[in-house]
Amino acid sequence: MDPLKSYFGRLLQEEISPMIMVRTTPLAEDACQKNGLNFVELLLPFSSFTKLNVPVRTANDQPYRIQLFKLRLAYACDIHLQNDEVAEEHLKQVVLDANQNILPHLTSEPPELQNLLKKSDLCPSWIETFNKELIRTVSFSEHETFDHPVACLFVVSSKDEQPINRFVDLLNTDQFPPLLNDGVMDPKILKHYLVLHDRQDGSPDKVSNILAEMRSTFGSNCKFLCINSAEARSDDGKDVPWMPYGSHILHRDNTARLLSREDINGVRDFMQDLSSNYIIPHMEQKIRILNQQVAATRRGFRNQIKNLWWRKGKEDAPESPDGPTYTFSSIESQIRVLADYAFMLRDYELALSNYRLLSTDYKLDKAWKRYAGVQEMTGLCSFMLDQSRKDSDYCMETAFTTYLKIGSSSQRNASRCGLWWAEMLKARGQYKDAANIYFRISNEEPSLHAAVMLEQASYCYLLSIPPMLRKYGFHLVLSGNRYYISDQRHHAIRAYRNALFVYRENGWSYISDHVHYNVGRWYSFIGVLDLAIKHMLEVLACSHQSLATQNVFLNEFFHVVQSMGKKFEVYNLRLPVINMASLKVFYEDFRTYASPSDVHVSENLWQSLEEELVPSATTSRSNWLDSQMKSSSRRNNDSAVCVVGEAVVVELEFQNPLQVAVPISEISLICELTAKSEGTETGSSSLNTPPPDGDFESPYNSDSSFMLSKLDVILETGETKRIQLEVCPKMEGLLKITGVRWTLSDTVIGYRHFEFDMKGKQKKGRRDLSSLSTNLEFLVIKGLPKLEACIQHLPKKIFTGDLRPLLLELRNQSEFSVKNIKMKISHPRYLIPGNIEELNMDFPKYSENLESAVIKEAPATVIPNTKSFLFSFPDDAKVQGRACLTWPLWFHAGLTGKISLYVSIYYEVESCSNNMTYRILRMHHDLEILPSIDVSFNITPCKSSLHEFFVQMDIVNKTKSDSFSLHQLSSVGNMWEISALPTTLYICPVQTLLAGQALSCFFKLKDCRKNSSNEEHLSGCDLLMVSQDNKEVIDVSKSPMVEFHQFERHHQVKSSKGDLGKVDFILISKMAKTDPVIEPVERPKLLTNHTCHISISSNSPISWQMSGSRMINHDFSASFCEVGFHLRVQNCSDSVVSIRLVTYDVMPGRKHSEMAKLSDSSGNGSGWNDISLVNDIKVVSSVQGNRPKKLSMESQFPFIWCALSSTKLDLQPLSSSEIPLKICLFTPGTYDLSNYELHWELNPPERITGDLKTCTSGTVYGHPFYLTAIQLQH
Amino acid sequence: MAGTACFIIVSKNDIPIYEAEVGSAAKKEEASQQHQFILHAALDIVEDLAWTTNAMFLKAVDKFNDLSVSVYVTAGHTRFMLLHDSRNEDGIKSFFQEVQELYIKILLNPLYLPSARIASSHFDTKVRALARKYL
Repeated sequence: MDPLKSYFGRLLQEEISPMIMVRTTPLAEDACQKNGLNFVELLLPFSSFTKLNVPVRTANDQPYRIQLFKLRLAYACDIHLQNDEVAEEHLKQVVLDANQNILPHLTSEPPELQNLLKKSDLCPSWIETFNKELIRTVSFSEHETFDHPVACLFVVSSKDEQPINRFVDLLNTDQFPPLLNDGVMDPKILKHYLVLHDRQDGSPDKVSNILAEMRSTFGSNCKFLCINSAEARSDDGKDVPWMPYGSHILHRDNTARLLSREDINGVRDFMQDLSSNYIIPHMEQKIRILNQQVAATRRGFRNQIKNLWWRKGKEDAPESPDGPTYTFSSIESQIRVLADYAFMLRDYELALSNYRLLSTDYKLDKAWKRYAGVQEMTGLCSFMLDQSRKDSDYCMETAFTTYLKIGSSSQRNASRCGLWWAEMLKARGQYKDAANIYFRISNEEPSLHAAVMLEQASYCYLLSIPPMLRKYGFHLVLSGNRYYISDQRHHAIRAYRNALFVYRENGWSYISDHVHYNVGRWYSFIGVLDLAIKHMLEVLACSHQSLATQNVFLNEFFHVVQSMGKKFEVYNLRLPVINMASLKVFYEDFRTYASPSDVHVSENLWQSLEEELVPSATTSRSNWLDSQMKSSSRRNNDSAVCVVGEAVVVELEFQNPLQVAVPISEISLICELTAKSEGTETGSSSLNTPPPDGDFESPYNSDSSFMLSKLDVILETGETKRIQLEVCPKMEGLLKITGVRWTLSDTVIGYRHFEFDMKGKQKKGRRDLSSLSTNLEFLVIKGLPKLEACIQHLPKKIFTGDLRPLLLELRNQSEFSVKNIKMKISHPRYLIPGNIEELNMDFPKYSENLESAVIKEAPATVIPNTKSFLFSFPDDAKVQGRACLTWPLWFHAGLTGKISLYVSIYYEVESCSNNMTYRILRMHHDLEILPSIDVSFNITPCKSSLHEFFVQMDIVNKTKSDSFSLHQLSSVGNMWEISALPTTLYICPVQTLLAGQALSCFFKLKDCRKNSSNEEHLSGCDLLMVSQDNKEVIDVSKSPMVEFHQFERHHQVKSSKGDLGKVDFILISKMAKTDPVIEPVERPKLLTNHTCHISISSNSPISWQMSGSRMINHDFSASFCEVGFHLRVQNCSDSVVSIRLVTYDVMPGRKHSEMAKLSDSSGNGSGWNDISLVNDIKVVSSVQGNRPKKLSMESQFPFIWCALSSTKLDLQPLSSSEIPLKICLFTPGTYDLSNYELHWELNPPERITGDLKTCTSGTVYGHPFYLTAIQLQH
Repeated sequence: MAGTACFIIVSKNDIPIYEAEVGSAAKKEEASQQHQFILHAALDIVEDLAWTTNAMFLKAVDKFNDLSVSVYVTAGHTRFMLLHDSRNEDGIKSFFQEVQELYIKILLNPLYLPSARIASSHFDTKVRALARKYL
């Protein structure tokens, strides 16, 4: 690109152009002022020429033509260095002027990247003006001569008396600018004389006399100019001939009114004549003269040597900050003038060579400012000549840094140099470098100028290819910051909002906070509050900021909102953060809930519980006549149903991300309720047609059709709260929950709509919840009765074994009555319904009379093998409108641990025309069951009797602080009888078991199975354990104990189902000590511990007993003695056992392994789990006691077995048989008849599976049986 | 230990996924946003430079007043950027290399989605330890 054609090239040609100094007389000015212009303003439009076409010949003999030319005009009084303050004010004014234009833009949308790049001139035009003005502040400096006037124009009015004398006055050098008087420039400059004639003062005839007089006095440089020849017009001056030229000044009413076309042409001709005939020739001539001088003194090898030597000599001279002073006559100044003139006349080569020549001189002289100036011009020349970029950049760099090095005095020069440099780089397309230069300038300038520079830097980044948007944004922000510091808020906002698009939607949180906060704040300063709030909203959720910053943000926001003076609504207010994924909707259609916490129980759990409870609608109505019912029920499934007057609850998580507590008030739902029109009523009755949405009437007044709950909360630092919001429809129709609204700090109302992606939810596998939580449209149906239920006196913590009555209370709040009530309980082991008669009985007193031992039908209804328990209330149990039904329940804490009880109550609506015929009430209770008393039993067969057993009962109190008094031990069923050991009256040594105490007691158990008939009789046998008062025996065969026992039996089932050798015990105890911690209601009255399926059998399935006389008298002298015995063998198992009895006369050697096996297996006989080791050994030792004694078995045989030595027989289950045995005795004495063995085998082995400990065969050894034979004395 | 050192990891879609002020200088309120601005702007330079060289460590790519920005670009075009006022180029290079080791470990975590924010406190501790060691 031709540098001359570029913007910067044209700028340089305009800015570095010959300066004409103007001096006028007051009367001449007056004449001009009639047009509202001063003289310079009048000439200015005609001072630049685009097609001057003047031949120029400088040092070179080859002439060339100049087309573009410009003259600068300035009053003599203005030709001096500007005062800093004045310059500052002037620049500020430029910025302020631009201010007026941008205000309307600030309220529009911030620009987007595309729009920005499309705009042809990114840089606002006022910035160019600003740059020019900034450059002009350093005009007329001593160190450069292109600002020095080339010529002087003296203007005298024709009205002036004695014009010649006026000219002489103007020529007085005292009035000249200091540049000419100080000797910085040659005072002998080209002078031009002009007589200005005002046509209104008369004809120009007399002027010719003056002109002639002037010519004789001053020479040929005298001209005559005529103005104000037009008539004064009163119209608005549309066709004022001046108009096309007046762009550079402000138009007033009288501007150029009196200038006719001839006047304007006269002015133009004058200027053209001036420049082409006087200024340019003058400069040409000067260049030629100076060039000759320079050639004579400086060109050539000799001159250079001389110059160097001469300069070296000056090295010792004291250094002044500006370097040595040069007068106009010094060769350096002359070279500079020559170079500048050559530059102005476009002879850049000549200029460049002279600048180069000069720069070495100045450098040697350490005249830094002049050196920098020359370097600057060298750079510009290189640019104009389109020479190497490196050269020009190097020169500009040197100039820039040198100016800066000098200090504050030439700081502005540095800025000018920088501006030119940046323009130069821009002209070459090096935008990135240009931006850098602007940034460097900004560091040196006061904040306002710096702001403008940074803004230009940002535009450079945007223009660079590819656009560097982040740099653009950053520099705009820097610029905006500076604008703000220098109190230019409009510009600050403009800069920031231009940068907004760069920072939109990214993760650079601090950046976007800073930008939005400041833009918001500044908008509020200039009073554009709505936009201020819009930006402030963006920073509200600033959780990453420090506490102080968060406070500042919030306070500022509230301040702005308050100054707005009204509450206003904000969509998607970011404070607090609402977790939309947490949204849950709870409503009651046919499913109702006793308490809100019941809703959280999984729907599957309820449905499995209610399987038998709820009539399966679709399968039962297979008839086509019922299709309407089917369709309606299906429709109910499609959109959720809720009932008039019953609230729909929406649960949402509100989170405060800040470290500041935030008060939020009036949280409520946004709902719409459209009433059903008549048309849809009929429409809905048609088959399979869900009512289309369009058929609904316009929404009713929302105040009347539903009620909303309003909540106020304070969210603490970082807190998340689940908030339940309710809407209660008051009429039938279609209810839509659309969103939520809240008020933040009583100032801002935020609202947010619920948006759903139903498909997305279902993909996540939350289908079970979808019916519950995702649908926000409800069909509101007519009011239905709704039962409310509660279980009274149900404590949260209970001891194991606690048996207590509870009260189920059903309340019907509506007018309608309900019928056909059924109830299902999830854990009948813990909770069963009682009988209505039990309602008024006093527990546990009523259980204590043995007389009323009524055999109940209750056990028959109990279905112990189902997991849950279905109970139908009697048919006459209806709950009338506004009535209440109470029903007793029994609770028994069976197992230690945490348990959730689920209760569903089904009821049908009486006389209801609605689709919904039944409803379900769901209740859910969580209980913790604490350990109390732990009981275990171990049963050992009694050796003395086949039907008696020793029972060891171990009781441990596992509580921490409570003690229990043992009341009663009962065995269930009539097959067993408990009796105390003969030595003690009570089986238990103590009655009160303290905390942590363990107790073992022993008693006897008698098998009464033989006596009983087949009929089941569950009366049981009881054993009182208390010694003192309160001797009432509690009847365990009564409800509810018997039911609970059934469930316990069912749950404690062991592997051997149906084994008849099992005993069940119930230990009844009472709370002994009053514990103040437990409330009287919660105090357990009675604890029952059910221990079931205690096996009486040891490891062998048989038991046997030797019977016969223990003592005989016999006369051994007469003969030996034969004694008969019976061995009674009983099969205790439920399968056929074949038994072989073997007697030994000689004791066979037994293997030790067998012995060991025997003692090992003896430990496995009981279900004991928590017993001390000492007790264990005791039990084992008693078993081991039946080892046959070896020591008595000597070689001598004191007796021999007679009859069969081996008998084999099969025993049916639970049967017994006697085997006759006989021995022969030869001498009197005491004999142990234990040397026999019983081999048993289960035949056939029924249970192949089952526990591995069960042996199918084994051997047992005889019990010791002592026989004493006494010699009969005659 | 450098006076000012702001370390940031920028994902390939130009979103910061980890930020840490690892300098010893007292933290000023203004500093964090200024650091973000500088680093964010430096991304433009990185865009230019990253494709002109094979090296991962781009040295100091940008300057703002007396703060310089050193950048390390991983193969996945994740950028580690360090804003610092010290001139310890070797230390910075080692720092970046070790951080990349840590970053790869994060990437190997099957539960970590690439370009998601790094919230691991272990990573944070390690990075800070490395900063103390090298910067």
